[in-house]
Amino acid sequence: MRGHGFLLANYVPGTSFLHRSPLALKFLLVVGCGLASFVIVDWGVSAAVLAVLGGLFLGAGAGGKRLWGAVRPLVPVLLVVGLFQAWQLGAPTGARIVLNILVCVVAASLLTATTPVQQLLDGVVRLARPFERFGADPERFALTIGIMLRSIPYIAGTFADVRDSARARGLERNPRALVLPVFITSVAYARQTGEALAARGLGEAED
Amino acid sequence: MPTVTFDKVTVAVQQEDSPQPKVLLDEVNLRLDEPRVGVIGANGSGKSTLLRLVNGLVQPTTGTVAVDGDDTERAVRKVRRNVGFVFTDPLSQLVMPTGREDVELSLRRSVKNGAERRSRAEAALGRLGLLTLADQSIYELSGGERQLMALAAVLAIDPKVLVLDEPSTLLDLRNRELLRRTLAGLDQQIIMSTHDLDLALEMDRVLVIEQGRVAFDGAPADAVAAYRSWCMDGLNGINTATDTP
Repeated sequence: MRGHGFLLANYVPGTSFLHRSPLALKFLLVVGCGLASFVIVDWGVSAAVLAVLGGLFLGAGAGGKRLWGAVRPLVPVLLVVGLFQAWQLGAPTGARIVLNILVCVVAASLLTATTPVQQLLDGVVRLARPFERFGADPERFALTIGIMLRSIPYIAGTFADVRDSARARGLERNPRALVLPVFITSVAYARQTGEALAARGLGEAED
Repeated sequence: MPTVTFDKVTVAVQQEDSPQPKVLLDEVNLRLDEPRVGVIGANGSGKSTLLRLVNGLVQPTTGTVAVDGDDTERAVRKVRRNVGFVFTDPLSQLVMPTGREDVELSLRRSVKNGAERRSRAEAALGRLGLLTLADQSIYELSGGERQLMALAAVLAIDPKVLVLDEPSTLLDLRNRELLRRTLAGLDQQIIMSTHDLDLALEMDRVLVIEQGRVAFDGAPADAVAAYRSWCMDGLNGINTATDTP
């Protein structure tokens, strides 16, 4: 399977201010950016926030290539969304919506690029701890997040592979030739992942 | 060495198009206590089913499988702590974005302290010479590197038995050799299915599985010779393109 576009940047070891910041602060930054995207009504403010986040990303040493890698898979969707909104609601609104989506993606990428996955999972376990009294297993919450992070690029890669094989058979315009194999491969992947986790004793209730 | 025992083990699954269950393994009796056990046989012969029984991934329909006396059905958690399993395709086994994270994931159950987990993961990766690759995306690794990373994730919990299901099938010659050398240096008991007959010859004992039964059980050279002979017999009477005038 080929390399995969990934919506969120992988962790980059480093000692920047963001690397040293507590997980809770970075998490609040992501939540804050998500909420702000509903509040900001001026595309200029959205652009400024995006520029600041982009600066923080580069300042953390995660690199422009990684930043582009996080944004690139979204570009076709953002183009469609932006053009449609510009046509319906005007160019400033279209630009604001696109920029706000980018703000959310870059903020989330800042979190994943400056926090080791295991630290993220430890954070999820702490957040889920109160649900233990209702019988929930915090480790399973963490495992779910971990698998989600891994599954997005896998399924994106599957889609790219299936699209190539459909193209090779002259079926690139046939939606069934694209959707069905991706669906079947994703189900098979879920089964394999479950089996791999079971083999390692992960996801089972604690002794 | 640990002892893996199969006592009258049959595995059968229901079929959609037939009222008769399909028998994957039929009345298998084994006692495996050699350091290196190879399992060879044709595709669909039951090799993977046999291996999955050892880790409790498949449960017997009748009979029992035990690892050092622990029943794989009743004591499945304990068995899985003692039996590591390496799949053919490391991409379906590695569930984290990087090797280091995957090794740490293996340790989450047994090591609660984050710093200790990191240090043990570092040691596990170092043992297989994977530290320089530990923070790369698993998609950026070669097939052999991925397979070694999957092996490191399994070995991190220090299992007594290592089960490998055709680990070299997807590897090129160089990576196959790399894996072979790595496995040769391990202390664990190894039970491995393979289509690589050269690798099978390096085992202490080899089982040939044929249609769900142990068709041959003995010295590697004899087992490989028997398997080759059956394969060639099976080809007799089949016309191939090269046979056509």
